[in-house]
Amino acid sequence: MSTLYERLGGAAAVNAAVDIFYRKALSDDRIAHFFDTVDMERQAAKQKAFLTMVFGGPANYTGKDMRDGHRHLVKQGLNDMHFDAVVENLGATLAELGVSAADIAEVAAIANSVRNDVLDR
Amino acid sequence: MKLRFEDRDIEAPPGASVLETLELAGIAIESSCRAGACQSCLLQCTEGQPPTAAQAGLPRNLVAEGCFLSCVCVPTEPLTIVRAGSARQRVGATLKERRWLSSNVLGLTLATDSPFTCHPGQFLTLVLPDSGLARSYSIAGCRAGLVELHVRILPDGRMSQQLAGDVPDGTPFILSGPAGNCFYDGVDSERRLILAGTGTGLAPLWAILHDALDRGHRGPIHLYHGARDESGFYLVDELRSLASRHPSFHYQPTTENLVAVVKSSETTPADSEFFLCGDAGLVNTLRRALFLRGAKLDRLHADAFVAAASGRS
Repeated sequence: MSTLYERLGGAAAVNAAVDIFYRKALSDDRIAHFFDTVDMERQAAKQKAFLTMVFGGPANYTGKDMRDGHRHLVKQGLNDMHFDAVVENLGATLAELGVSAADIAEVAAIANSVRNDVLDR
Repeated sequence: MKLRFEDRDIEAPPGASVLETLELAGIAIESSCRAGACQSCLLQCTEGQPPTAAQAGLPRNLVAEGCFLSCVCVPTEPLTIVRAGSARQRVGATLKERRWLSSNVLGLTLATDSPFTCHPGQFLTLVLPDSGLARSYSIAGCRAGLVELHVRILPDGRMSQQLAGDVPDGTPFILSGPAGNCFYDGVDSERRLILAGTGTGLAPLWAILHDALDRGHRGPIHLYHGARDESGFYLVDELRSLASRHPSFHYQPTTENLVAVVKSSETTPADSEFFLCGDAGLVNTLRRALFLRGAKLDRLHADAFVAAASGRS
């Protein structure tokens, strides 16, 4: 039985998804301001790390990492609505890449498992 | 936080960068932009892990060697640090030729004392050892022991005024580097190549253009050079002559808004390879606009020029 990460296509799938996902985030008025930095390389690197994690790939994030990494955004108002928008963009990205609904649901479940850490509560 | 630099133990004050900490301890580190962009202050970590932010934007080979930007490195664990000797070259050089390219852009040709390996279009740090001044410049050309730079001469520029003034024969310079990912090597020779820049952003674009033509690039090449007015253009005759000899090369100097010009002309950015160089605000705006219109992140190469911090280095 292959893992989710293998089914999605591993690192190659992350590379294919990052352009689409980042473009969706920057074009989404609900969340674009959180991604609004001139340093696109650094931002893309963060998104690759995020996608690797939610694709079930090798990642060593702790709840503390998630809290520390997003606390400044929570102070700017990051909330469930924004988190939902990210999960929605994630699903739309994977659908564009031809990923099955079952696998998209699995990715969304991994993303939702860190929701409380990201929102620092 | 405990730091070990070469053979010295140094305590970093809370919140201080490695660069600030070393300077407080009386250790001179070359620096220029102090914003994590120019890579003048590159150091190498041999024990401990610098924070990710201090390695962002560095080529993978340098990250693997533990290199990091000391100006934006606020350590989160004890680090053992050395000067990035093996990772970047330091080569002595002397001035061979100076040529005014426009009323305020000086073309410099430096002869290196030993080979300096670089990709044309990358940038280096030019150091005047006598004064300790260090500034980053893009490499407009490098071959056979000669390195060409385009230097904008600023009325209050400490380095550029020295370069435009009396430079006695044999004055020693040091070239340190190279850095940056604006270079032709690795580009698909059939691809549409878009070179866009302002001011002396033409230097790396000029280098990339010649590298592409020398290597027999077959796809179309479009060069957009933006300036506030006609006096900002240089190498115009040379570029027009190149365009007449190479039907695939198109040269478009423009005093219009460069972002608008490129956006309206490049309607299918997903298929092109972009090199964007010059004014940081323009480069970052253009990169974002092209990305949102479908350009691929790994085919968007940018070199945003950040001015040296005033009163420093």
